[in-house]
Amino acid sequence: MTHRIKVWDLPTRVFHWGLVALVAAGTITGLVTQEWWMGVHILAGYGVVALIVFRFIWGFLGSQYSRFEHFTFGPREIGEHLREILFLHPRRHIGHNPAGAAMIFVLGCLLVAITATGIVVLGGEEKQGPLASVVGYLLGSGAKEWHGTLVYLLLALVAGHVVGVIAESRLLKENLVLSMITGDKDLPDDLPRPTVPARPVAAAGVLLAVVGITAAGVVALYTLAPIRSPATAHNVAYDKECGACHYAFHPSLMPARKWASLLADLSNHFGEDASLPPTVVNEISAWLAANSGEHWDTEAANWFLEEDPSEPLRITATDNWRAKHAEIGAEVFARKSIGGRVNCAACHTDFASGQFDDQAIDIPEE
Amino acid sequence: MLKIFLAAAIVTGTALLPAVASADPARDAILAGYLTQAKAEDPAFTDFSAERGQAFYLATQTGGKPDTTACQACHGADPRVAGKNVKTGKVIEPMAVSANPKRFTVAEDIEKWFGRNCKDVLGRACTAAEKGDYVTFLVSQ
Repeated sequence: MTHRIKVWDLPTRVFHWGLVALVAAGTITGLVTQEWWMGVHILAGYGVVALIVFRFIWGFLGSQYSRFEHFTFGPREIGEHLREILFLHPRRHIGHNPAGAAMIFVLGCLLVAITATGIVVLGGEEKQGPLASVVGYLLGSGAKEWHGTLVYLLLALVAGHVVGVIAESRLLKENLVLSMITGDKDLPDDLPRPTVPARPVAAAGVLLAVVGITAAGVVALYTLAPIRSPATAHNVAYDKECGACHYAFHPSLMPARKWASLLADLSNHFGEDASLPPTVVNEISAWLAANSGEHWDTEAANWFLEEDPSEPLRITATDNWRAKHAEIGAEVFARKSIGGRVNCAACHTDFASGQFDDQAIDIPEE
Repeated sequence: MLKIFLAAAIVTGTALLPAVASADPARDAILAGYLTQAKAEDPAFTDFSAERGQAFYLATQTGGKPDTTACQACHGADPRVAGKNVKTGKVIEPMAVSANPKRFTVAEDIEKWFGRNCKDVLGRACTAAEKGDYVTFLVSQ
């Protein structure tokens, strides 16, 4: 005779499939889609953080098979289980089996590392999120390497997890995937029934406390002054004179030495006569020198500060600009509403701020 | 009675509109300056003409740069709507005073733009008569 038990409670199942969806969304928006999906990518990341935090609490207050104490196995048990699988006769485990349990802890730690490095990248490179005023650009771009590498490791382990589930389902002739959907397993009567109930109220209380503390911390982080961001972001003469013929480029987009070369010969400004009275030139020069790329910590500023041997004064002629726009065809720049590479504002809706967020990109269709 | 009053007010207002559009002491002084200059350049010159200004605004010129062969290349055929810098895509506010009352009120700015743009479009400096006709045309718009 068999009896049906609830192995996976609803929160655990929602966690599992929610994580599947968010990891898929995060992976696709991180590795496949265009930059402007970054908003979805970031949301997926925050979602993963929320799920992990919940699952950690649920590991102590969930129902029996969701609790860490019921699937913490020693190396010997894990080795034993793997050996059983190798000989195609694994013992049946009601909850997580030792190999699966080990995988869960590794996946959990990996997801913590991936979201943590993601938030560091977001703060350091993109100057967004809770760490925007804490993490510098260099740390952010360093973390980006790790963020990507860890994701490939995660994908390999996810593949291993799926293969394990399929193998074990076949060997034990039970549908593990279906159990993770319905939560049910039919077990022989001689197997013990679960005795530890979930404590949802306590879990909700802990979750609420964690959310409260996190929110307070995040609010405090958001009130910090941004790293290297000059207060004088606008200059009337610059906006009027330089912004008359082309959209006024943010001063952070070039190093001081290039601004100086540019201002030194306005009578031949990329073939145009853009000469101005000396007093105006002096005012604009001083302002640009005080607000040039060296004074900002944004991705765009750091990007254009990098040495380019040919030192082009035209921003769109720098190696880094070309690299960033390599996938944008000439026909896109020729569109009526864009009109040329110089018109950054046509696609970068946050052009005026110098931020150049990925999710602020909106390429017009015509 | 009220209807008649309103009608009268509308008629008077409409009749006054062009006059109101050009009524800016700074702009009048600038135009007067160009007129003095134009008469000095050509003693036979009498007064500016909006028609000549319009023809000048729309005409295709030679001698300038290939991208900019007319005022309307950047400012658009209809000066009452915004134009666009043909090279950079930057939106240029309307040239017509009715659509953009700030136009032609700061002498240095006008000279700066005539200085640059006449060179780009005509390949030479504009005469005072051309400048005055141009401004007169756009004041009338």
